[in-house]
Amino acid sequence: MTSTNPISSFAFSIHFKLRRLLLKSESLRGYSLLSPTLLAMLLGLAMPMLVLFTLSFWIQEYLDFIRTFSIKNYLDFFQKPIYIKILFKSIRMSSLVTVVTVLLAYPMAYYIAFRVKRNKLVWLILITVPFWTSYLLRVFAWKIMLGYNGVINSGLKSLGLLSEPLEFLLYNPTSVVITLAHAWAAFAILPIYVSLEKIDRSLLEAARDLGENPFMTFVRVTLPLSLPGVIAASLLVFIPTVGDYVTPSLVGGPSGIMIGNIIQSMFGKAQNWPLGAAISVMSMLTVTLMVSLFLWGTHNFRRQIA
Amino acid sequence: MKKEEITEQLATGRMSRRQFNKNLMALGATMVMMPMGSRMTQAASEDHPTVFTWEGWEVPELHAAYVKKYGSSPNISIFADEEEAFAKMRAGFRVDLTQPCTYKVPIWYDAGIILPIDTNRLSNWPDIIPSLKNIPGTVIDGKQYFIPTDWGQTSVLYRPDLAPEYVNNETWGILWDPKYKGRLSMADSLIDGVMVAAIYVGAKNPFNMTDAEMAKTRAALKEQLPLIRFYWGSSSEIEQALASGELVAATAWNDGYAKLKSEGINVKYMNPKEGAMTWVCGFCLMTDHNPAKLDRIYDYLDAYMSVESGVYEIVEYGYGHGNAKAFDQVSPEKLKELGFSTNAEEMLSSGIFQEPMANEPALQTMFEEVKAGL
Repeated sequence: MTSTNPISSFAFSIHFKLRRLLLKSESLRGYSLLSPTLLAMLLGLAMPMLVLFTLSFWIQEYLDFIRTFSIKNYLDFFQKPIYIKILFKSIRMSSLVTVVTVLLAYPMAYYIAFRVKRNKLVWLILITVPFWTSYLLRVFAWKIMLGYNGVINSGLKSLGLLSEPLEFLLYNPTSVVITLAHAWAAFAILPIYVSLEKIDRSLLEAARDLGENPFMTFVRVTLPLSLPGVIAASLLVFIPTVGDYVTPSLVGGPSGIMIGNIIQSMFGKAQNWPLGAAISVMSMLTVTLMVSLFLWGTHNFRRQIA
Repeated sequence: MKKEEITEQLATGRMSRRQFNKNLMALGATMVMMPMGSRMTQAASEDHPTVFTWEGWEVPELHAAYVKKYGSSPNISIFADEEEAFAKMRAGFRVDLTQPCTYKVPIWYDAGIILPIDTNRLSNWPDIIPSLKNIPGTVIDGKQYFIPTDWGQTSVLYRPDLAPEYVNNETWGILWDPKYKGRLSMADSLIDGVMVAAIYVGAKNPFNMTDAEMAKTRAALKEQLPLIRFYWGSSSEIEQALASGELVAATAWNDGYAKLKSEGINVKYMNPKEGAMTWVCGFCLMTDHNPAKLDRIYDYLDAYMSVESGVYEIVEYGYGHGNAKAFDQVSPEKLKELGFSTNAEEMLSSGIFQEPMANEPALQTMFEEVKAGL
């Protein structure tokens, strides 16, 4: 009895102190609430990144890794023209995808935010309908649309506008851009919609009352106020599409390959994981740089028009 | 508590904190339990071995005896070529049986991923065509590391109506004919793609090229790139494209020919003047296999080696089969229609037999670079 008493009172005091600390410190409470997510992020994101980073400094020797520090993979990345060339091609293609997607998504989001008065939710759900099927299925759907005997070609043929099917529709960078722009549409529409929806309607009325025409109202009021949504949409589309490899490998043909395909083949057929890791790291860095430039640019742009 | 009750309480805010927590806990417990239920229903498939193979060789007709004995097919996984299969297995994918071709067996043996097979446990082993039993590299220290079950060719499958000038001039060169720009296809593989280019440029031994021959092969692949519609990964891609006329010619295996022919499409399978490639594929027992499943593994092998499977493979796919007796069951007319002018012995001595490729990593890198436009 006498020996357990001090221990239990000690445990009690610890418990008490911890509880007080928890109640006193707001940030500690915040972290403890975050901890499951934080832990998952650490295990699922930070750890693999660390592994990837470490791997990129090793060397592949036929079937085995040489585990001594080396920058050979990074030298390869810069010395062999293939990687940089494909990386910049991917960035060009993804930028195009982003521009096309945002340009197409904006009117749709605008329509739902300003013109639809009833059942907005139904419209929003309708936009997500294509996402109820698998991504692969949507890519194949585009293959059917653009294919040699596909919907477009056979449609034009039956109208008598074509005698031979158009071959340039599929298996090139353009088909990759079309497919990606469609596949990522919802990721652009939703953030733009949210930012348009948030705009205080009285501001628009004020602009009109002060004599701005509808176009200038859009340029000087609606567009700047919806820019956060446009920026979010651009990032949501640009970042994942740079690394996409499924779409190019299905609809890209020999000329439509992207950096994702190179990385995939490094981890697959080419059996060179360290080089694949180095290419991944470099492409992540490049994307980060591009995104920073983009954010800096839009920040300046917003300051200018504000 | 009923569903409606919970919803109503939630909506009206009448649910007490304790009640809410209780419901949340119940939900959590249910979520945790859910995978257990599905795991139990999958128990049956866990008893089966996993077979890693090419598309087309997984059909139940090719292992009917196994299905009859165990009620269903084993677990099947498909690869597009052995490099992909190898990469997946290196990355930790555990399989019991794989179905590579002979040229991969020595490399896989070096990598330590295959084990010898006890042919005494295979009732159909004595019926296997003798010349297939000891292809160099597949028998190591007197132990059988490979069970030959399938053989055939890699050649050009083309539309004689679209390219009539090649009917009496069959050559791999059709795949480099600028006239058919954008209507040609090659296998996205070393053995059936890059090696074709090596044969085309006249490499003395395509499977062990000199540096000069490598450079020539690279140049040929580069020259071909703008003519290629796509590099194919599964034969169904080229079958559809050849049927629609999207493609005029493509490298293919016998099955593409048999399938399109049976659909009444005007196709021809070349006997190129440079020589078609011939191959033998079959089974390897993986080091990673589950010993508890060994009986089923051998049953699967034996089923695949049977006469019934052989007849199906010959008639449906136009491939050769390892079982010599299977050929007796197919009428000579049918064999002729499928293009079997030779027997296995002759086939192995004619044409270009696919061997292990020297310096594979360099070939792969070269192919990747060419495909990227360099």
